[in-house]
Amino acid sequence: MLVIVVENVPPRLRGRLGLWLVEVRAGVYVGDVSKRVRAMIWDNIEKGIDEGNAVMAWSTNTESGFDFLTLGANRRIPVEMDGIQLVSFLPPQEEGVAKPPL
Amino acid sequence: MPQPILPPLKPLPIKDRISVVYVERGNLDVIDGAFVVVDVTGVRTQIPIGTVACLMLEPGTRVSHSAVVLAARVGCLLVWIGEAGVRLYAAGQPGGARSDRLLYQAKLALDDTARLKVVRRMYALRFREEPPERRSVEQLRGIEGVRVRKMYDLLARQYKVEWKRRNYDHTEWESGDIPNRCLSSATACIYGICEAAILAAGYAPAVGFIHTGKPQSFVYDIADIFKFETVVPVAFRIAAKKPRDPEREVRLACRDAFRQTKLLDRIVPTIEEVLAAGGIEVPKAHEEAVTMAIPNKEGLGDAGHRG
Repeated sequence: MLVIVVENVPPRLRGRLGLWLVEVRAGVYVGDVSKRVRAMIWDNIEKGIDEGNAVMAWSTNTESGFDFLTLGANRRIPVEMDGIQLVSFLPPQEEGVAKPPL
Repeated sequence: MPQPILPPLKPLPIKDRISVVYVERGNLDVIDGAFVVVDVTGVRTQIPIGTVACLMLEPGTRVSHSAVVLAARVGCLLVWIGEAGVRLYAAGQPGGARSDRLLYQAKLALDDTARLKVVRRMYALRFREEPPERRSVEQLRGIEGVRVRKMYDLLARQYKVEWKRRNYDHTEWESGDIPNRCLSSATACIYGICEAAILAAGYAPAVGFIHTGKPQSFVYDIADIFKFETVVPVAFRIAAKKPRDPEREVRLACRDAFRQTKLLDRIVPTIEEVLAAGGIEVPKAHEEAVTMAIPNKEGLGDAGHRG
């Protein structure tokens, strides 16, 4: 199972994701693909993301049962706490959005 | 600020796809790079054709140029079907993208010894036992015909369906009895998938080993291997329910059968397996052949996909 959420990305990337996944809500894509296909889809997101941001979550054999990757600036940033992936929500900032740690 | 460019599209392997999607009515077009069906009221439905093996287009669909281009890019076979799913025409990644595979297939089909070996393997896979020794292809076909008729009778008895004989007459569709109509719909379903798989593997649908002389001889050969574990029991089971809309019910049940038997995972390896039984190596390019000026790119898809 694979879930992708994109925000503020060009329409061409949204259409492209629709070639392999089903868009269940605006910018939310669901599918079930192999590891290689997942990498290929992520490559498409990396190249087409422009100013937007994206997160991709998929089921895997971790304790949480899933793993996820993020790309682009967003107030929600992934944090790792002793091997568990969680998300921190940054306070709103006056001058633009917080940059995610590299 | 240069425009970000999306990477070129590549077909995915058949095993990573869902079997079939039927489109009943509407215009098939490309919007923002996605494959979309737009119906007369303006309702848009995206179809993820990159993860579909073949798309069945029923009467009442129109396809735009860009939609066909996109389907070819992602390696989805478009099949135009008539009433009850009888194939009219197909377009996709045209077969024969791989000359080495085509020559290999033709060499196997032309060599009597190799052809017999391929046919024997087809029967062995289909009936799950080795066929009797020292029989010609014609004799094997005779044995097979008897077995198939027996299987139909058995299934008809098992599901308590009244069964006279298989009747293929497509010219008089409505006149066929319900079990025959269910069977025709079910087989049409598996033929589409088999054709997509044969093309994806780089072989020609017309060069058959048991069936010959039809544009889809090889499709029938491959479909027959899987038919009796997938679509045939489904057809009889549905026929027994005396459904109001047999074709639709058959389709839904076929999809379940394909999933349960993991058909799409097995189909391309099975094609390779039956051909390998012929015992001939895939031919090497001849000595004086001109080497490729532009090397083929590595793709994700199957061997025959034009990546």
